[in-house]
Amino acid sequence: MKKFNKWIWAATGVIISIILIVMSLQWSRNNVDDLMKWHNSKMSPVIMIPGSSATVNRFDTLVKKLNKGKSLKNQHSLLKVRVTNDDKLHVSGQIRQGDNEPIIVVGFENNHDGYSNIKQQARRFNIAFKALTSEYRFNNFKAIGHSNGGLIYTVFLENYYSSYSSKITIKRLMTIGSPYNFNEKSVEHKTQMLSDFIADRKNLPKSLDVYVVAGTQTYNSDGLVPLGSVVAGKYIYQGQVKHFTTISVSGSDAQHSDLPQNDQIIDLINRYILDRQQVPQNGRKNKQSVGKISQN
Amino acid sequence: MNKLLNISIRFYSSKMMLILRDTLKMMFPIMLLGSFAEVIKGAFLTPTGFMATLFKITKWLPYNRDLAWIMGSIFHCTIDMIALYGAFGAAYYTAKVYGRKSAAAGAVGLLSFLIISFQLSDSGMPNFSPRLMSEGMLISLIVGYVCGRIMVKLVDVKKDELFQLIKPVAVVIVLSAIINMILGLVGRLEIPTYVASFVTQHTQINALLYVLGMGLLTNLLSWMAFGGPFTNSPSFGDNASLANMNAALKAGSAWNVPFKFTDTTLYHSFANFGGTGVVLAFIIAILLFSKKVNNRRVSKWSIFPAIFNNNYAMMLGIPILFNPIYLIPFLLAPLVNMILAAGLLALRWIPAAAYPVPAGTPGPLIAFIGTNGNWLALIFGVVLIVLDVLIYMPFVKLADQIIEEAGVADEEI
Repeated sequence: MKKFNKWIWAATGVIISIILIVMSLQWSRNNVDDLMKWHNSKMSPVIMIPGSSATVNRFDTLVKKLNKGKSLKNQHSLLKVRVTNDDKLHVSGQIRQGDNEPIIVVGFENNHDGYSNIKQQARRFNIAFKALTSEYRFNNFKAIGHSNGGLIYTVFLENYYSSYSSKITIKRLMTIGSPYNFNEKSVEHKTQMLSDFIADRKNLPKSLDVYVVAGTQTYNSDGLVPLGSVVAGKYIYQGQVKHFTTISVSGSDAQHSDLPQNDQIIDLINRYILDRQQVPQNGRKNKQSVGKISQN
Repeated sequence: MNKLLNISIRFYSSKMMLILRDTLKMMFPIMLLGSFAEVIKGAFLTPTGFMATLFKITKWLPYNRDLAWIMGSIFHCTIDMIALYGAFGAAYYTAKVYGRKSAAAGAVGLLSFLIISFQLSDSGMPNFSPRLMSEGMLISLIVGYVCGRIMVKLVDVKKDELFQLIKPVAVVIVLSAIINMILGLVGRLEIPTYVASFVTQHTQINALLYVLGMGLLTNLLSWMAFGGPFTNSPSFGDNASLANMNAALKAGSAWNVPFKFTDTTLYHSFANFGGTGVVLAFIIAILLFSKKVNNRRVSKWSIFPAIFNNNYAMMLGIPILFNPIYLIPFLLAPLVNMILAAGLLALRWIPAAAYPVPAGTPGPLIAFIGTNGNWLALIFGVVLIVLDVLIYMPFVKLADQIIEEAGVADEEI
């Protein structure tokens, strides 16, 4: 009887081992496949967040302008993700096959102003971001936030990004007219939000390039947000991230709500945020020959 | 062997050893259940754990979060605070051996260790060094012993005990507070990160020797109940592992990674089956060769946690801790494993374990998953276990002999 028992134990052990080995193999293969897809992914999207009271359609004009004059193959496709108040995602548009730099806009049903709403929106952005990463498996991305969108990004980077940072790099962030100190003109009066941002700045990724763009309709405001509140971003980012640049834009379309379609800002996005377009082979040759002629 | 036998017998019957054995005996049931809780939480109920990833347990098991919470609180209050029990036990049994009232001594030992591991926290709430609590059992045993001796020395049994206690307690409190301050000044070296940077900055041969040395040190310290450099499960977060993984993902296989000899590829993949000291092989050796009912029973209880690389039950139950007989195989088995693994890696028979492995993966499967299913790595792991069982075998038999003779010796006294 005792011997019989022993055999049963041994047999159970062997069966369990085989099951575990087979399951491990299967899991490992799947996992490595996934990791390879992610690691070798060439996709590097630009993820945009609109400001308060704006919808996912906020950047339509901007995208149209960015795509102007580009051949169909080089155009950025536009995907819109709307997060409703029940934390569900509603997707419209699609990413064209082979488009390595699509533009993804994440908007919220609750798009109201105020610090508590911004925190709420950052949490919802994290939900959308998680879904996007598992769907498209990109390993890096660029970020643009208009107005409160920049604040949502700041909350996201300080509180949520660390769980992705080993796999997904945020390369560049541009905030456009983001009121880091809400309507306060001077940092003498720090809002609760700005204090929180500064307190948690250590969590910001050190490899990030940040561009803070301010619109200036008058000498100290874009008509809605005081200049002092926009450039207060330096107390958060400067010295913490790799590069920090403040740019102020004036002239036509420098009013707060017009900023996303301001031609100068579109030029800045083209220059600083988007990856260098891969110039087709013969195009590069042409350029070189032009260079040679001018040298002669 | 005979010499080792004699030394061990003498060691076994010393007062110090008696205290130690009683303390470990008291801790064994607590830590055994604690290790069950740790394994159930870590491998079964944490989404990144081995069983949880394989069988998606956290997706379908109802109340899995609540269950994980319960297991977590059990684990944190047992294994994660193992040193507290050590301090209490050592003080209690020291006083007992010297024939004093022991409960007060136990409380004083506990008090002393709490003071030593006390830290200031921002919120002003009491806070204790988690490192000392979980890895400082050696310190706690010494603290407990010293406290017990102080109690024995300063309390006179013949007089009324109530007010006599004030003096020894005062001495202990002041001493402990001073030690606490000194520890705060010394600070702590972050060895694990240092290992990773060493591996990436030096040549392969140097890195190999370094990993072997550190592995040996880990096992030695763990035999002395003190956390070593490689105590924790592989993190795959250090630079060398990340570089290996990225290279493997880029090339599509793990054959040509930049850092072949790291703690992950050698120590965690091949020298940690069942926890430090290849305890899984030790358990098998006892079940096959030992005739002592007690040891066999402890081993049977320890199988489950040891499969998921938790060896606390064996360390306390046999015990392996501070046991001179088992020191040699405890150091030798992992070292042999690492050297053989390094040989096969150098000969390019097996690829390096470069891919991520879930937490709590059973020992021999770590290299299998880490190489993305290299069968030779799996077979090699099994061969190593057999080899380790053979390494442990003579010592298991020797221990049987010692227990018999020491048992006789005990009776004579």
